[in-house]
Amino acid sequence: MSQTMSQEIVANRESETVIAVRGLAKSFGSQQIWKSLDLDVYRGEVLGVVGGSGQGKSVLLRVITGLVKPDAGTIRIFDRDVRDLSREEKVDMEARWGVLFQDGALFSSLSVLQNIQVPMREHLDLPQSIMDDLAFLKLAMVGLRPEAAHKFPSELSGGMRKRAGLARALSLDPEIVFLDEPTAGLDPIGASEFDHLIRKLQQTLGLTVYMVTHDLDSIFTVCDRVAVLADNMIVKTGTPEQLRRKPEHPWIEEYFCGERARAAKA
Amino acid sequence: MLKRHTGVILPTRAAAPGFRIELRGTAFCLVASGSWTVREVTDLDGGLKRLRVPIPPTPDFTGEMDISGIEQLDTAGAWLLQRTARLWEARGLKTRFSGMTEGFEILLEEVRRRSTQDRPADEGGASISGLVREWGVAVTGVGREAVLLTGFLGAVTATFVRIASQIWRFRPVSFVHHLDHTGFRAVPIIALICALIGAVIMQQGVVQLRTFGAETFAVNMVGILSLREVGVLLTAIMVAGRSGSAFTAEIGSMKMREEIDAMRTLGIDPMETLVAPRVLALIVVVPLLTFLGDMMCLVGGGLMAQVYLGLDAAAYIETLHNAIDMRHFFAGMIKAPFAALIIGLVGCLEGLKVTGSAESLGFHVTSAVVKAIFLVIVFDAVFAMFLSSIGI
Repeated sequence: MSQTMSQEIVANRESETVIAVRGLAKSFGSQQIWKSLDLDVYRGEVLGVVGGSGQGKSVLLRVITGLVKPDAGTIRIFDRDVRDLSREEKVDMEARWGVLFQDGALFSSLSVLQNIQVPMREHLDLPQSIMDDLAFLKLAMVGLRPEAAHKFPSELSGGMRKRAGLARALSLDPEIVFLDEPTAGLDPIGASEFDHLIRKLQQTLGLTVYMVTHDLDSIFTVCDRVAVLADNMIVKTGTPEQLRRKPEHPWIEEYFCGERARAAKA
Repeated sequence: MLKRHTGVILPTRAAAPGFRIELRGTAFCLVASGSWTVREVTDLDGGLKRLRVPIPPTPDFTGEMDISGIEQLDTAGAWLLQRTARLWEARGLKTRFSGMTEGFEILLEEVRRRSTQDRPADEGGASISGLVREWGVAVTGVGREAVLLTGFLGAVTATFVRIASQIWRFRPVSFVHHLDHTGFRAVPIIALICALIGAVIMQQGVVQLRTFGAETFAVNMVGILSLREVGVLLTAIMVAGRSGSAFTAEIGSMKMREEIDAMRTLGIDPMETLVAPRVLALIVVVPLLTFLGDMMCLVGGGLMAQVYLGLDAAAYIETLHNAIDMRHFFAGMIKAPFAALIIGLVGCLEGLKVTGSAESLGFHVTSAVVKAIFLVIVFDAVFAMFLSSIGI
């Protein structure tokens, strides 16, 4: 038994790449965002993507999730080129990742509970009682009280909307979660709670997290690795500590060694 | 989803998800295997529900969830396992898990901790008392709206008086801008719509009246109808749709972005700067558009008269001249400034009611158009009765 197993295990955790982006180029009109962008995301890590405004952090997230078409380059997710997928395969793959948009992007006509059940309804055929149980479980896991289940998105605060959006992203227990500025617009306490929630869920569910962020506190508390977007490419990747020690780029220096970074690290 | 082996496993391994019950010494053992994920949860749930909870023959019997055969586990699978364990515990079997990896243990513990809360019922369901309450709210809402609109009319009138007495408060640039937007730019669409409706009324009139041999009276009908009702109503409806909604959207989006609060803190009165120029521009523009609408209705009718009655332009004008006189024209025109006032008031008031969210903006824009058209038609009916009773 153990012998067959060792043959089947062909790669260990550290080196398994779940997202591989190569030679990505994109421009809007005359404005070129990236000329040739390479990025790897490994299984089980929390990757923070940082960069100045206009460097296309959010656009990169949208390109990887297939919402925006790149001009050139390849994107391989779970070792499959996303361009080669048939319609059905694309749908299956989308069930293996979840996206949290900036303000949660909950469907305003549905209650929180129904919002969480939308992916289950779309991808699976589950009885209502199971969907209710699972949705309440997800609600509790993101730290929302059960009273929030029957509220509508307009009745929730910004932080609660983000948590509910996260619960929807986690609805099908995805392998990858994309977070677009998860702590933007939250007060420092709420932001810090959200950071810990992300860390906790990542460990509990074995998630791979791709996180676009500005927030230095998030980077130092949550991220295993940081990719820096500048000069139309990923200029550097590394742990937050490595980037702080050896910035080797003016923007990284300013970002990781500035006053706010020292405060975040302290 | 957590995998037992943290690495790439070739697809040949995937064992069918399932479970069986074994008795191991004094322990009832649920031996689970395969992949316990949300995709398999329906089948597993069915199987587990059919499974009878083992009844311990003596108190020292225990339960065990042997999950060493589970390859993949996610929250749904963990939830099923914990639910079963809870059920067994409730029947007096002390149940423990075995064969867990570190990751599985964290997940199972988290699910156990999170799934014990009780949950509130959905209060949003329909009930008779709820229905009655909604009716009550709707009916009293109409009354509140009427009070609000009347109050707003008073506020706008007071603003007009203040502007008239302190003329430097008047905003000519804004006024001219709204003249252009609500008036001049509405000319093509109102001309076209009125001409078309005029033509349709003439054509239908001729066809219907021909049965009585009275088709030439269709000209009288079109003449009177256009001047008294159709010109002003069509214009008012078009202006409510074009400009009333635009007022709500403009003022509403300013309200959303706190621009109106900013104006107040800078000592600028939004009634003077936003509301007054808009309402005033409409009061000037709607009578002019109504005149245009009246004429285009007659032109459209004339075209159809040529086709269906063989009247040329000179003969058509001659017939019209005999059929209508100035009182019909004035009966229509007198209504135009009132329609303008209603549309302007409703549009601006709804804009000021917008709260922070985008949904509220959409709601109030719709509501402005519906209310403005409704009120214009109600006032039109009141005017029609009033004017005919004083013999105009």
